[in-house]
Amino acid sequence: MVEYSKTEFLIACASSHVRDGENVFGGTGMPLLAALLAKQTHAPRSNLISEAGFIDARPREVPLSVADTRYYYGCSASLGLIETLGFLLQGGRIDVGFLGAAQIDEYGNLNTSYIGPYDKPKVKLPGSGGGNDIASSAKRLIIMMSHDKRKFVKDLDYMTSPGHLEGPGSREKWSMVGNGPEVVITDMCQMDFEPETLKIRLKSVHPGYTVQQIVDNVMFDLLVPDEIPATAEPSQEQLDIMHKLDPKGIYLGKGA
Amino acid sequence: MTEAEVEDKRITLAEAAKKVSDEDTLFWGGFGYQRPPIAFSHELVRQKKRNLTVYTCGSEVDLEIMAGAGVVYRYEIAFSAIEALGLSNNIRRRVSEGALQVEDYTNLAMAMRFLGGALNVPFMPLRSMMGTDMVRLSRYRGDDKLKVIDCPFTGEKLTVVPSLKPDFSIVHVQRVDKTGNAQIDGIVGEDIEGSRCGKKLIVLAEEIIDEEEVRTRPDQTKIPAMYVDHVVVLPFIAHPMMCHGYYDYDLEHLMMFHKLTQTEEGWQEYLNGYILGVEDHYGYLDLVGWPRLQQLKAKKPWGY
Repeated sequence: MVEYSKTEFLIACASSHVRDGENVFGGTGMPLLAALLAKQTHAPRSNLISEAGFIDARPREVPLSVADTRYYYGCSASLGLIETLGFLLQGGRIDVGFLGAAQIDEYGNLNTSYIGPYDKPKVKLPGSGGGNDIASSAKRLIIMMSHDKRKFVKDLDYMTSPGHLEGPGSREKWSMVGNGPEVVITDMCQMDFEPETLKIRLKSVHPGYTVQQIVDNVMFDLLVPDEIPATAEPSQEQLDIMHKLDPKGIYLGKGA
Repeated sequence: MTEAEVEDKRITLAEAAKKVSDEDTLFWGGFGYQRPPIAFSHELVRQKKRNLTVYTCGSEVDLEIMAGAGVVYRYEIAFSAIEALGLSNNIRRRVSEGALQVEDYTNLAMAMRFLGGALNVPFMPLRSMMGTDMVRLSRYRGDDKLKVIDCPFTGEKLTVVPSLKPDFSIVHVQRVDKTGNAQIDGIVGEDIEGSRCGKKLIVLAEEIIDEEEVRTRPDQTKIPAMYVDHVVVLPFIAHPMMCHGYYDYDLEHLMMFHKLTQTEEGWQEYLNGYILGVEDHYGYLDLVGWPRLQQLKAKKPWGY
């Protein structure tokens, strides 16, 4: 049996959602490694784009910032924000975006702005950055979250980025370019969205976790189908490639 | 034929910062870890500017410095954090205290606001933010933060954001000649639009080059001299962040900065040591140490 850390598992899982030939906004951290891993395995013709302006990037060291020069060498074009978020993303040319958040609700709407009331916030979080632009206009959205009751909430403290908003028809009402979230990956499970209601639904359970644990750590009524498969585990090949991509363990950690 | 005399727009960092008055509005260049005008933020702090409003997509350490030192009281931005390192602690504290107000936009929205200012039109449309609290909630801008309209041609819903024409645009580039032709390598972020939207433009550059050299690679001139009012030339303007092709970020310093800002006492220690405790930018660089700065110099062909 292949041994792996939680981070490695999540990167492999996220990577499986990138399809060959797709234009991908990779960002930094786990999504970046997931996109790079996909390119080296099942999606060799995927195109990794940084919202800061790097197109078809192949960084030899992992960037710490979307604007990091580590993204530059070997990319095919080095441009700017109006190009990436405007011409590419709003132009409908980005297939997949990755986002994380401090809070998510049952329609996949995200908060990356404030904890506590808007008028007197307890914590000011990073804000949208390009997050709302990506959530509005990328064809598909992959959300990565840590699985915690305080994060899977009935009501967001602040809605920064649109998921499926109030459910069916609401993205259409705002003429949104993209189709919204497709999958949510947590450290316990994968979730997708039930097509009729567009509410979050359990999709697969990671090895070592139970459905009860997952349901207990969500503040809304999670849709649970009768049959729930186990999430696929990473292969040794995937782990080896990950460590070649991040030999210093900047995102993978030092342990492995 | 006589040679036309060219204007030398060079001034010192202190002279440049003196041009900024309390209450002024600034476009702030750079993006993420790339080309932030950190040295200019230090000088604004040393000159004890107050009540500035800064517009940018998402600079990081410089926004922390200006918020922490009380130079700014309003930000119109999309993002504040030190990306991979974590939350922006000073901004978080100043917001909780009520000393700083942040009007939230997205990266594309801010870039469009600069583009609108540069194009001399009062607003720009985009397809972001609709359906969320970014439309429903605003601070000091009230109803003038943005509006959602029906497109007059197609009837589709669109967000329109007000264009910006700040008092100054502050942009950091790699190279400049003394007349102001400014060359940027690597990504441009939102600096093309940003440099053209301000009433006055101050360009900070790592290196001065001859006009003849500019004319050998005119495609690298991202800001022609005709836009530029003042030029400041200094090394390591972005330290501890990076400048493409010139130097890498100083991760050790960056982590130290981020750790110290976790408490007000820690931040005051950094402020008094690295910013108020030195005479000028060279004093700061001396304190960081030249052997260390040499190590950060970019290597070919990587650019960092």
